[in-house]
Amino acid sequence: MRNTYLWLLQLITGILIAVLLGVHMVLMHLDAILGFFGVDATKITSWESMIERSNQGIWAGLYIALLAVVLYHALNGLRNVILELTPSVRTERVVTRVIVAFGIVTFVFCSYVPIALLSA
Amino acid sequence: MRQIQPRRNYLGAVGWLWAGNYKVERYLYILHRITGLGILFFLLLHLIMTTVFRIQGQDVWEATMAILHNPWFKIGEYLVVVAFVYHALNGLRLILQELGFLMVRPAPPIYPYRDSLRRKRPWTIAMIAVVVILALVFFYDFIAGGW
Repeated sequence: MRNTYLWLLQLITGILIAVLLGVHMVLMHLDAILGFFGVDATKITSWESMIERSNQGIWAGLYIALLAVVLYHALNGLRNVILELTPSVRTERVVTRVIVAFGIVTFVFCSYVPIALLSA
Repeated sequence: MRQIQPRRNYLGAVGWLWAGNYKVERYLYILHRITGLGILFFLLLHLIMTTVFRIQGQDVWEATMAILHNPWFKIGEYLVVVAFVYHALNGLRLILQELGFLMVRPAPPIYPYRDSLRRKRPWTIAMIAVVVILALVFFYDFIAGGW
């Protein structure tokens, strides 16, 4: 039953990521086509543009929320790939714990940066 | 008495790359896994770039961006985009299929019937077509926007 809920969360986070990262990919990679429609996205990776976004709470919140959703989807997907090899219950537990620990450490470390940059 | 041997159809780890008797959907599944693991690898690099290097200030950030404007990294980024587009649209197809939205009207299984996989195949082909179109749109921008 627990794996069913994990899988349902995988579907929900998948849809969220498809929308949010879709916007991200269009802004980052379609600058020539966006310029045709009057949206300037050519300087989006410059320091000034990046810091301007980092100073706003809404962007920091979006980054952290996206981080949580993406980390869940990626690490649960990796867990599903590994568990498809049908390891023993013991190995399965070790795999789950390592992946959960890695996810928590990454989330804490990576969400510290947008919070620290709010006052940069 | 003649012993009937069970057919050996367990592909094991070989099934990660070779689909045996299965059809195109199984290869989409393999590609879904490869793109997923590839994006996971990119995500880790991306997180290092946007945390460890970003927190160190303007000079380090601009040096990192200069490295990332190398043509090889640009080609890599294009591959990540294509992998993302494929993974997203194939995932959407799998979600719709799992929740039962792509099921067509039931029909009696009288001989030249089409199985459920073949009845869903138009959606599969439409998904592949959209992936190809989006990959071409991103490729146009990749060329037109300068590397």
